[in-house]
Amino acid sequence: MSAVILPGAEPFLFRRGPVGCLLVHGFTAAPQEMVRLGAHLANHGCTALGVRLAGHGTNLDDLARTRWRDWLASAQDGLDLLRGLCDRVVLLGLSMGGLLSILLAEAEPPAGLVLMSTPTLVPPNRLRPLLRPASPVYRRIPKGPPDWFDPSAAAERVAYPAYPTRAMAEVADLIEIARAALPHVHAPALVIHSLNDDFVVPANAQTLMAELGSRDKRLLVVEGSNHLVTLDAQRQTVFDAALAFVRRTAGPAR
Amino acid sequence: MSLILPRGEAFLYPGGPVGCLVVHGFTGAPAEMRWFGEQLASRGYSVLGVRLFAHATQLEDMRRARPQDWLASVEDGYHLLRGLSESIVVMGLSLGGILSLHTASRLPVAGVVAMSTPYVIKSPWLRRLRPLLPALSVVVPNMAKDAPDWRDPELARDHVEYAANPVRAAATLLDVHAEMLAGLPRIRVPVLMMASHGDDTAPPAHSRSIFERLTTTDKELLLVENSGHVITRDRERQRVAEAAAAFTRRVTGWPAGSKRKARR
Repeated sequence: MSAVILPGAEPFLFRRGPVGCLLVHGFTAAPQEMVRLGAHLANHGCTALGVRLAGHGTNLDDLARTRWRDWLASAQDGLDLLRGLCDRVVLLGLSMGGLLSILLAEAEPPAGLVLMSTPTLVPPNRLRPLLRPASPVYRRIPKGPPDWFDPSAAAERVAYPAYPTRAMAEVADLIEIARAALPHVHAPALVIHSLNDDFVVPANAQTLMAELGSRDKRLLVVEGSNHLVTLDAQRQTVFDAALAFVRRTAGPAR
Repeated sequence: MSLILPRGEAFLYPGGPVGCLVVHGFTGAPAEMRWFGEQLASRGYSVLGVRLFAHATQLEDMRRARPQDWLASVEDGYHLLRGLSESIVVMGLSLGGILSLHTASRLPVAGVVAMSTPYVIKSPWLRRLRPLLPALSVVVPNMAKDAPDWRDPELARDHVEYAANPVRAAATLLDVHAEMLAGLPRIRVPVLMMASHGDDTAPPAHSRSIFERLTTTDKELLLVENSGHVITRDRERQRVAEAAAAFTRRVTGWPAGSKRKARR
């Protein structure tokens, strides 16, 4: 028997200065999709911690067993650990990681909040009430075809090949729970979304901008990237914007 | 929204290039390792206390726990602590001791400290019922805990733990325990085992049995007298923490030189 966590799916910690960045990955993914962003922030003096959410980066069946509560507790663990190193913390979440960051920010205001490709709208689907009862039989939902602008980014990606049906129902609930929390979030926020995101369409970012309680909130729209803006062709634009935002809201990194 | 119980949080104390990864027990919380962790941190070690999957939130979450979830929680702590340390000594209490030995049989560590670690899960009927536990847990989700065995009753008052033993997770405990025993011969690094005569759950005979099955050439067994199961918090906590620190120093060679100089 070897390690439980898949090679490349391990959480990471780069210790630098007193400004801490918590990086939270998305549904069925792993810390790997945040590690380049984390390294960029660390290269510029920020301490960066990338959590692994429960059920992720191990085995697809583990994810089927977990609930949004478990994912939120994992993100909270990362924050609790990072607070051992840093006074000022910025939360950065991609997709479902953005939802978890919203809930963390509601409980304890961070210095800043970066929400990337984050859903706010549950796609209307009459099958949604069936997800839970159908999940013991119809256990997996296949993923769509790849839509990379930079196919080389796909090569290093660590993610499950399908969505567990049971956990999909959790994501739908989590979107609604996080959306309800938006008016109670007052931290400075940067919302990043790609025009070409066909998975979480850009209208989600409009709702996010409209309902966030923050007075200081900005929307960065990128073009030429799929849903995974931290990996695909516009990643450098995203990294630079995130770093500038961290510096502005949490102060100089060194 | 915060789901983690007050004082149930994971913790991290940055320090020098040697890391101590500390792991709490079944139905417990990082709180039972925090004082112990602080003692190691005060000697200059980097210390990370993990929160095991489904612990320190709500008892119902334990129904979903499987062996790989707890092992993954320890691995998470391992990889994060690697961000601060070149070498890691893994230390755990009870289930944490089981998971520490399990981890040491699979990942590179400098040493293991296993405290109040059970050799057999005490309840024989529980072991016999193992195949039925998943189904039984639907009807009987929780079992009452045995009376606590604190020697310092003051400590019981602020102890963070679930009030009952979840039946489905007990099956997980039995499984991970069996895997740990099977992995003992693969441990090649120094091991320190500690146990207390006052422990009703995993008395010294348990640690002795594990000790005998260890094939590593460098192993120590330290017994204390006047503590209950939670030796990291009970009467002899100072002695326990000092033994863990001395072991860490011996197996990692850090800090070199006099103890006095090493203190921050």
